[in-house]
Amino acid sequence: MSFLSISNAIKTFGTNTVVKGFDLSVEKGEFVSFLGPSGCGKTTVLRMIAGFDRPTSGNITIDGRDVTDLAPNKRRIGMVFQAYALFPNMNVFGNIAFGLKIAGLGKAETEARVKEMLALIGLSHLEERYPYELSGGQQQRVALARALAPKPQVLLLDEPLSALDAKIRVSLREEIRAIQRQLGITTVFVTHDQEEAMSISDRIVVMNGGRADQIGTPSAIYNRPSTRFVAGFVGTLNVLKARVDRRNAQTVTIGGKTVQLAQPVESADAQGNLSLALRPEALSLLPSDLRDVTFDGIVKSVSFMGSVIRIRMDVGDEAISFDMFNSPNLVAPLIGQKASAHFASSDIFELSA
Amino acid sequence: MKKRFPFAAVLMALFGASFFIVPLIATFYFSLKMTRGELGFAAYASVFNSADFLNTILYSTIASLIAILIGAIIIVPTAYWVRLKVPKLRPVVEFISLLPLIVPPVVLVFGYIRLFGSNSWLPLTASTFGTDVLLVVGYVVLSMPYMFRAVDNGMAAIDISTLTEAAESLGASRLRTITTVIFPNVRAAIISGAFLTFSISVGEFVLASLLNRPAFGPYLVQLGQDRAYEPAALAIMSFGFIWGCMVLMQMFATRKPGQRWLLRLTTRPAQRARP
Repeated sequence: MSFLSISNAIKTFGTNTVVKGFDLSVEKGEFVSFLGPSGCGKTTVLRMIAGFDRPTSGNITIDGRDVTDLAPNKRRIGMVFQAYALFPNMNVFGNIAFGLKIAGLGKAETEARVKEMLALIGLSHLEERYPYELSGGQQQRVALARALAPKPQVLLLDEPLSALDAKIRVSLREEIRAIQRQLGITTVFVTHDQEEAMSISDRIVVMNGGRADQIGTPSAIYNRPSTRFVAGFVGTLNVLKARVDRRNAQTVTIGGKTVQLAQPVESADAQGNLSLALRPEALSLLPSDLRDVTFDGIVKSVSFMGSVIRIRMDVGDEAISFDMFNSPNLVAPLIGQKASAHFASSDIFELSA
Repeated sequence: MKKRFPFAAVLMALFGASFFIVPLIATFYFSLKMTRGELGFAAYASVFNSADFLNTILYSTIASLIAILIGAIIIVPTAYWVRLKVPKLRPVVEFISLLPLIVPPVVLVFGYIRLFGSNSWLPLTASTFGTDVLLVVGYVVLSMPYMFRAVDNGMAAIDISTLTEAAESLGASRLRTITTVIFPNVRAAIISGAFLTFSISVGEFVLASLLNRPAFGPYLVQLGQDRAYEPAALAIMSFGFIWGCMVLMQMFATRKPGQRWLLRLTTRPAQRARP
């Protein structure tokens, strides 16, 4: 039986249904991320787990106990907020000790636990500082320590890195993951940043319009997206119009070229038209034995992005884009130049729904 | 390019300030002339030696402090609840809190007398204690616009809903959240509201006079009718008192948690470097 379970949760605000039948099972010690665009309902689901919003219907269980109607302060959850939400009237020690005092821990025990938490986040020297004396990254570390101090059953992270600058965001997300692994705490993380979700999650729930479009490992989400939305939202994608001669056949025509697919297509319409997708990294200007399909076209744009160079090319009616790793010796193609992009037919995947 | 001295602006400022400063200086000068032929603080001594002054100021101070306490107990949870649970009703509550500025105190007190007069179902004016209660209630009502606005602004400055959720996620009950998280974080706002309330109610005339209570406001008016120099001395003292309240308000409003009241000569090591 899963540790955290959400069954057919629906949440309606007035006439607006924000969460439309959400199901999820999270194992103990698992790190699950809710990924999706703004307004997709990911924060609402998190708030329902925390108890701040009650589901209109459906139920939530934690460790086998139905908590759907339980008050937030009785759920034993730890929550980290986007805006840190440290108590301004308390210093770092006071903030971390807050939950422990409420739990009724003795003075010595509280002090020991606070010191343990401070050591965990590497801020032992700042216990007397007040929130206004800390940087954003430090405040969020303290918020994490405060949430973890009372040993919650589930840790909920509501876009905790959004307010931080890029460098701190990367280092803190790695820190969060390391601490989560060390403590083995079941964690739900909300983000709209796909890179963030990919890099630290055991599983990702891609949400769209109040539903979970796909739940899977980062690799499965990226490489085998189950819906057109997931494919488009996670990473960049080349969508190619294709035509199959007869349903369920493995042979399709893309831009006048016949391509043999690894699996028979399933989503072609009555006329045999369908959409296929290809990740930019599957394409290369360099031919190889594995890249059995070649598209000839004209380079439309070349964008230098630091470690990679993104090239957009017109192939007949289709526009494709792909990335090349940058190197000092690399000669990028020029705009207007004829070029050939090579890829393996096995990298093509079908877009359903 | 060298900037020209702004003569016109300074002149305008001095002209404007003179409206405020000249009467003050004149009143102060007049208050010092009680003893014929010399300048001194005889008027001030006379005021302080008056038993009526001490009794009325004590009465008004106690009534004002009780009003502040009751006002804070009513307004802080109300402002908190409105912001947290029914934010759409905030303009309505704000309008209600501003009503005492629209309804004149004389209307308020006649309403009280009519509602709680000796022939009413709750004859509060029939006893001294009951009338004192009415006066305090009146002060609470008069202070509502100032107290509510100060507390509401204080709550706007902190994200009370997220702080409440943070406290609740750590196991705190709603009462504990209010007492340990919300209240300390709006303390400066409450104190600001309290000083405003105090400075208004301590010299309030209409309510105290029409309820016939021995308060400081009616004493001030009476003194103005009976004496020449003491009212001027009292006006200066009241002015000093109000400014004192403003300074204290400012000190409370700008003080950060953990900050000392008096500045240290050296900064704390924690405040020096912020990695």
